[in-house]
Amino acid sequence: MRSTQLFCLALSCTLLAALALAAPPPLPVEHLTVERLPARSPHWIYLYDEVFDNEIDARVYLYDGDSNRRLGQINAGFYTSLNLSPDGATTAVAATYFARGTHGARTDVVEFTDNSTLEVTHEIVLPSKRAEAGPGLFNLAYSTDGRFLYAAYLTPAASFGVLDPGAGTVLGEIDTAGCVLVIPSGRYRVSSLCESGRLLTVTLDPQGHEASRAMSEPFFDADSDPVFVQGVPTNSGYLFLSFLGQVHDIDFSAAEPHFAAPWSLLAAGEQGHWRPGAYQVAALHKSLGRLYVPMHEGGEGTHKDGGTEIWVYDFATHQRLARWPMKPQGLSRVIALQVSQDPAPILFVATENGELAVFDALTGRVRHIEKHAAQSPWMLLNP
Amino acid sequence: MMRRFDRLFEHSTRSLAQRTSRRSLLASLGQVLTGAALLPLLPIDRASRAHAASDSPASPESCDYWKYCAIDGFLCSCCGGTSSSCPPGTAASPIFWIGTCHNAADGRDYIVSYNDCCGKSGCSACDCNRNEGEKPIYRPSRNNDLNWCMANANVNYHCTVSVILGVAEK
Repeated sequence: MRSTQLFCLALSCTLLAALALAAPPPLPVEHLTVERLPARSPHWIYLYDEVFDNEIDARVYLYDGDSNRRLGQINAGFYTSLNLSPDGATTAVAATYFARGTHGARTDVVEFTDNSTLEVTHEIVLPSKRAEAGPGLFNLAYSTDGRFLYAAYLTPAASFGVLDPGAGTVLGEIDTAGCVLVIPSGRYRVSSLCESGRLLTVTLDPQGHEASRAMSEPFFDADSDPVFVQGVPTNSGYLFLSFLGQVHDIDFSAAEPHFAAPWSLLAAGEQGHWRPGAYQVAALHKSLGRLYVPMHEGGEGTHKDGGTEIWVYDFATHQRLARWPMKPQGLSRVIALQVSQDPAPILFVATENGELAVFDALTGRVRHIEKHAAQSPWMLLNP
Repeated sequence: MMRRFDRLFEHSTRSLAQRTSRRSLLASLGQVLTGAALLPLLPIDRASRAHAASDSPASPESCDYWKYCAIDGFLCSCCGGTSSSCPPGTAASPIFWIGTCHNAADGRDYIVSYNDCCGKSGCSACDCNRNEGEKPIYRPSRNNDLNWCMANANVNYHCTVSVILGVAEK
């Protein structure tokens, strides 16, 4: 017995020595750094998270739909408006801050973030008139050449501020006679949506002062079928969806807007049963002419319910190409979506459960689902 | 009821007058009165973003409670207030949006004002989003996405109450 014990002890020592000899070298010393963003990709997306449970801490996440990784964050304060500069180099975020976090003196400010570093470069302090509204492209918008930045005001008196983002100054304020939001077009035209269903268009001079204004004919009825204010850029202007699924395609390329005849997302048997609904109600691939709309079954008052399906249309022929149900993918209702503008596009889909799904925008195949991507993912912007 | 209306609108107009032009004030009040005039009876449909403390439609802590037909926000009933009173230490918004809600208990439609309670960060309880008769921001008197604390000294949003303004005449 004793010799057996000695043999086992010797064997254990031998094995331990062998293991020690085979152990890998220790890990190298690390050096703390700050990550730098890679070159911009068309498959990035800016995901606006309203953080509804704690609205003073909204944020914008930058996410890569190829590597399925979050790349960084932009702080976005309280009741945020945001947009990107026409060249995509800058993110402008207009928000309210309180001197003592949740209270104290109010400051409304536009902060400009360099999208190559995600560092804030400068700011413009605004009068405390900013429209604290739901998300959309027309709360804060650049002129098409990037010279001016327009900020919608609502106190509830409606007007807008004209800002000079280069100089970091507020140039002035323009009354909009009860019409709301800032829809940029041409060189220095700003249109606003009116309760009467008309568009008010104010043309500015190169100094940012009002040169002229004109009111369009009505193109929708706010009582019977209002339009969502979340317009979508097209090649010649913007499209607006109505609550009942009409598509209003508006050409903003001339001095006065031109309204194409509206068309319906719905076939005859679907009228009154299906309708669009979300916080961001459509996305358009401009060169391929593919329109993506979250749709659900529901009646009056469901216009903010998310889509149980995404319906895909040929924007030129108005033909529906596909219906993509979300449930089979394990996804909850769609409340925001955006499509990349490259030839191999991906469709980003944000859901009411805070998921961010990455679809092949041509086939509908799900490439990835990011769980818990955000608390209140209400708007997605292309880089 | 008329005295209540008088008090409410006096409060609203005094607060607004300090912040807006007379013309815009008239426009806003006109929108409220016009919107309050007559809306058809609308079906109740509970929207998706609803996390109330009670499942009983009879409870003011339930998102299905009749007065909440066009609310969007945290129910003050779950935050230290009631369906028509703000929690302690907050400030009621003097301006509001309105809805037309059907009370099944007496078969009447009521005009309801939705006022935000302001001055503290979000209550985060009983999130309720219903949109019967809700309209986009170009009709602000019917829009529930706006921060209706916008005219308060402290514009931070805490929760939302619903206050009966009167019976909607048919």
